[in-house]
Amino acid sequence: MKSKDIVSSLFWMALGVGVCYGGVDLELGTLHDPGSGFMFFWVGAIMSGLSLFIFIRAMRDKGKAGEMKILWSQVKWKKNIYVLAALFLYAYAFSHLGFILSTVPLLIFLFKAVEPQRWSVAILGAILSVLTSYAVFQLWLGAQLPRGFLGIG
Amino acid sequence: MDLLNYLSIGFFVALQPDNLFYCFVGVFVGTLIGVLPGIGPVGAMSLLFPMTFKATPEAAVIMLAGIYYGAMYGGSTTSILVNIPGEAASVVTCLDGYQMARQGRAGPALGMAAFGSFIAGTLSIVGLMLLAPPLSQFALKFGPPEYFTLMVLGLTILIYLAHGSMPKALLMAAFGIVLGLIGLDSINARPRFTFGWMELIDGVGLVPIVMGLFGVSEVLLNIEQVIRREIFETKIKGLLPSAKDWMDSKGALARGSLLGFFLGILPGGGAVISSFISYAVEKRVSKHPERFGKGAIEGVAAPEAANNAATGGAFIPLMTLGIPPNVVMAMLLGAFMIHGVQPGPLMMKQNPGLFWGVIASMYIGNIMLLILNLPLIGMWVQVLKVPYKILFPLILLFCLIGVYSVSNAVFDIYIMIIFGIVGYLMKKFEYEGAPLVLAFVLGPLMENNLRKSLIMSQGDFSIFFSRPLSAASLILALFLLVSPLIPWMGRKRQEIAKKEVS
Repeated sequence: MKSKDIVSSLFWMALGVGVCYGGVDLELGTLHDPGSGFMFFWVGAIMSGLSLFIFIRAMRDKGKAGEMKILWSQVKWKKNIYVLAALFLYAYAFSHLGFILSTVPLLIFLFKAVEPQRWSVAILGAILSVLTSYAVFQLWLGAQLPRGFLGIG
Repeated sequence: MDLLNYLSIGFFVALQPDNLFYCFVGVFVGTLIGVLPGIGPVGAMSLLFPMTFKATPEAAVIMLAGIYYGAMYGGSTTSILVNIPGEAASVVTCLDGYQMARQGRAGPALGMAAFGSFIAGTLSIVGLMLLAPPLSQFALKFGPPEYFTLMVLGLTILIYLAHGSMPKALLMAAFGIVLGLIGLDSINARPRFTFGWMELIDGVGLVPIVMGLFGVSEVLLNIEQVIRREIFETKIKGLLPSAKDWMDSKGALARGSLLGFFLGILPGGGAVISSFISYAVEKRVSKHPERFGKGAIEGVAAPEAANNAATGGAFIPLMTLGIPPNVVMAMLLGAFMIHGVQPGPLMMKQNPGLFWGVIASMYIGNIMLLILNLPLIGMWVQVLKVPYKILFPLILLFCLIGVYSVSNAVFDIYIMIIFGIVGYLMKKFEYEGAPLVLAFVLGPLMENNLRKSLIMSQGDFSIFFSRPLSAASLILALFLLVSPLIPWMGRKRQEIAKKEVS
């Protein structure tokens, strides 16, 4: 039993069925004049069919027990969760604090959290990177990076 | 004569100071990306997308194309010196390139990789120049059924050549189509799968998806493990290959260029496949196949020639039909569209400056690359020494700024992070990202052409079989889809996939 294929195929099957349902909801139209949901319905049906195929094949596959455990055994959860949490928090704070005020702490965190650097390296690296990218993207390329409530950046 | 006239127009455009600058930035960043493992040409093109907004369409495409073929050059450096390919198309170069470096012949290996890339790159541009005009003329006769079936064929070939499971690749393509169709219906302007989010009315952006799948997910995977890059400490001297090296490599260069160019044209083909096949061909035709894997210079020349020639070939379907054959070309299609240019059979007539300017810039870019890669090799070696713990926050920073600058929308940052997680899980569960991205770009075009075809034929599906080209494309696509069920074809496909993975 190939457990990771069973888990993933169930997810895709649910998504495929959802897409089919959404397609019907959008109206299929006729073959003469296909509607907005026509393509969604058929692509959703193909997704469901393929997931079912992967599911059945995984169920018949022997000798792969404990695969899910192996898949996650070497994962350093903390590092990934730290990085993702920092990114989500950054996205939330980005327009409120502005580019400079939100990006400097993010970079210091990334420099320190995953494989800790010296504070001087982290702070200097973060400030230099942010100022350089600000000069390139905002001043030179004219990108409209947010200034935040303090109007900095 | 016409060709020379057009080429002179092209050089006039390419030699404009602005365009020269963008070409240089493109090839420079391309080489840098090729040297640095962990971020491929697709990610780099997304990062530099914002740079192209202020530029003319010519400059934008010249720069993005430069990143693509520049990455092919740069990728060989890490393969030879560190035994880690900078990008997938340089995987095979590791086999003999690294062995040559261990034997104290890093110089000739790097030199042959650069010269081979230059020769093949130039030959493929000549091929592109000669083949594109007649193909454009031919493509003018295509209607919606031909376009629809050609896109189906393109996706099928990509799926057929996927590293692992074909049903999984097909599933990813289907998911890509669904994502590509989110937003307003192009025919009746009805919102689809937007769930009331105004930000989704225009659809999901290509850049956040690509950055998430190829940039953020790669970072998440890399921080899980300690990346050790041991640079082979050797003095790099004598970059010019000897007369014997040239004699040994001349056949490999010619065969690699030809193979690469024609495989590059094929939808779903491209640089990675051509480098593998050209290496296998060289080993087969060699009188001393036992030398391969132990430092044979042909083993460096052939794949490097092939992967560079493939870049030129890949432009043909995009520029003449408007159909991107691979993910990199899908990114370029996005750049064309943002600048209001529709690539396809009419592009050569409507935008000769752009079409020929891009081609001419590739000649210039190839010369720039030769200069960047040979005398400045020491600089690239230094870049290799930057540790990943310093590199990954910077990669994330560029992804964040890049995504935001394209649309000025924080929503796209969220999309990128979510697709970073999706990409990470896809790699864990052995699903590929390439079919998803290509299908995402082709999805709306496919739907449009399918619906137009059905309206044309009043709902009769036989329209796809009554026209010779669409019938041939569909039959070939069907054959490829069922081929894994034919025992010897299935074995052959698995062999190719295994070779690529190993």
